Amino acid sequence: MRKTGFLSAALAACLAAGFTMSASAYDVDKITVNIWDNNQLAGLQQIADEWTEQSGVKVQIDVVDWDNYWTLLESGASGGTLPDVFWMHSNVVQMYMENDMLLNLDEYIEKDDKIDMANYYEGVTDLFTRDDNGSIYGLPKDHDTIALLYNKALFDKYGVDYPTDDWSWEDVLDAATKITEGGKDDGVYGYAINTSNNQDGWYNLIYGYGGNVVSEDHKSSSIGSDEAKAGMEMMRKILEVSAPQMTVAETGTDALFTSGLAAMITQGSWMINTFYKAENHDDYAWAMIPYSDANGNGACDEGERVSCYNGLGWSAKADPEDPQACYDLISWFCQEEQQKEQAKLGVTMGGMKGISEDFASAFEGMDVSAFTKVEEAGSLFFRPYTRNTPVWEDALQQDGAFLNAWQDPSDPELMAQACDNAQTIIENAIAAE
Amino acid sequence: MKKAKMSVAAKKEERWAWLFVAPTMLGLIILNFYPIVSTIYQSFCKTGDFGKGNIFIGLKNYQAVLVDPEVWQSFWNTIKYAIIEVPFGIAIALVLAVLLNKKMIGRSLYRTIFFVPMVCAPAAVAMVWRWMYNTQFGLLNNVFHTKIAWISDPKIAWISVGVIGVWSIIGYNMVLFIGGLQDIPGDFYEAARIDGASELRQFWSITIPLLSPTTFFIVQTRIIGALTVFDLMFMVMDKTNVALKNVQSAVYLFYQYAFTNGNKGYGATIVVVLLIFIMILTFILQRVEKKWVYHN
Repeated sequence: MRKTGFLSAALAACLAAGFTMSASAYDVDKITVNIWDNNQLAGLQQIADEWTEQSGVKVQIDVVDWDNYWTLLESGASGGTLPDVFWMHSNVVQMYMENDMLLNLDEYIEKDDKIDMANYYEGVTDLFTRDDNGSIYGLPKDHDTIALLYNKALFDKYGVDYPTDDWSWEDVLDAATKITEGGKDDGVYGYAINTSNNQDGWYNLIYGYGGNVVSEDHKSSSIGSDEAKAGMEMMRKILEVSAPQMTVAETGTDALFTSGLAAMITQGSWMINTFYKAENHDDYAWAMIPYSDANGNGACDEGERVSCYNGLGWSAKADPEDPQACYDLISWFCQEEQQKEQAKLGVTMGGMKGISEDFASAFEGMDVSAFTKVEEAGSLFFRPYTRNTPVWEDALQQDGAFLNAWQDPSDPELMAQACDNAQTIIENAIAAE
Repeated sequence: MKKAKMSVAAKKEERWAWLFVAPTMLGLIILNFYPIVSTIYQSFCKTGDFGKGNIFIGLKNYQAVLVDPEVWQSFWNTIKYAIIEVPFGIAIALVLAVLLNKKMIGRSLYRTIFFVPMVCAPAAVAMVWRWMYNTQFGLLNNVFHTKIAWISDPKIAWISVGVIGVWSIIGYNMVLFIGGLQDIPGDFYEAARIDGASELRQFWSITIPLLSPTTFFIVQTRIIGALTVFDLMFMVMDKTNVALKNVQSAVYLFYQYAFTNGNKGYGATIVVVLLIFIMILTFILQRVEKKWVYHN
């Protein structure tokens, strides 16, 4: 009795599976997706479910935190067990493309009238284009920018005017000096930044003052140039009145800020949710990233306000069971309508140009237009990368490079030396690629 | 000598024996032996991306590793960690085991309490300690009204990390010691009491020698465990911590090279050197065993 019961149940299951399979135009009934940002899961799942409704293919999105994501992806790539669809990042994408780990999207894009590569941010598109054959291996999912985050309650308490969209880094320095002085007894600092806040921090000063970390062709660096040093000298002055490096390393700049112990930090648009959901979010406000008054005329000139930007791509593994299904999902995420939805839901700004205005109002009660305004009022530079970015990116943050300068910001020599060391580190890393 | 022919029954039995050890052997071969051989091979290579395109370069990785001050520093850090974790982890556990082997109210409760760190996820343990050690907001500095940079001062950070290691391992060592204590026949203590030996004397003359096989087992496994430590440093120390250089272990450095920097060959070389070091140490320990361990 029990046996027949089991058998008929199994039969019914087979039949049901058979029916759902035949109802769909695809060879698979599920696509696995990996991402690393839990903040985006709900919104992306919603967009993916809308695709499931019309395609009949389930989309299972799994979140793996940033550090483990790359370990997992690399072992998946080595062992042939990559997820079907996943996020790609500037740090390593060249390596994945060159080793044929990703699906070549050229023929699919050609047949797809909803995708025109000209509509996307060039920096992001370039990133997912392979140097040697010009093929595209990822569609631009999003882009991000940087803004200044400040705590109004602390500015009120120490009687300092709120940051505005017209601030230069000199203004940040003045305000940070006043707040750190006033907050001495409360353990409050005007500013907080760690060596690891590069894309969302000191990279912007280097580029704002006319230097670069990695050149446009990704083959050299001018981080040891006078321009870059001028930017880092500005950084050093701010560091003198910021939370000590030991404190930011142990506690983290975000935790210092949300605990009301740091009045200003710079942050990327991908972090908005953290602060939007924080306890005292009513006190928090965003201003456009300050400009670098490199020529000292007290006005923001062309090229003086810069924001680093980066973009993720949707990629598929080179040999999925059903490449068309994977591509169609990727295409769905990157079409105009869904890109707008992504911005509207507050997931991220789009990889497509000119569709992100809804993002500015996606967070009710928090004005995040600073992230979208900078695209008109300033210029964007793409996050510096080479073929194997982590090698030098990590070294720059540690002992032997900028960590030494962060330890003792009172000494301008140390910062200049750190820039020179960084130049050597990057050049050696590029030579070893 | 000619091999004796097996009977049918013996042959059948042998087949069964193979069947029973097969799962373990398969596991060992796939999860241990193959990776060891593969790691040793990679240490002689300039490794390519995703395990493809390895180029044999002989001993070049070893030449680079052996003159790399960062590698030597990490080995020294690992040894410093072992010097804290092994002796203290064992001494404290032994005292606790002896105390908790006596009849008392709530004995199993105490045993459970000391064993709890062993059950907790190492990552969770490290996160809690990280906040306790925090210079500005940590529990320790607040309770003692101090301003000590427990994990950021290169002079003391290694001790702070070692303390977490000791705290985590005490329960495990203690349980092994209790097992060993219960194997010691009660007659010995009875006879000693009749002869008028004090508790302390009994401990030194009966417990310590008769416990020495257990002690030796713990010493040996803990030395190996301590020399391969990774998760504590990885979780407690931020990448930008100024004391990291003085605390990062050999396996931490291996992780950095193999997985963050994608230089598998160099990483493999570091762990092969560590493996050789542990093998030499184990060999010496085995020699010492014959001298120091008392077999009943």
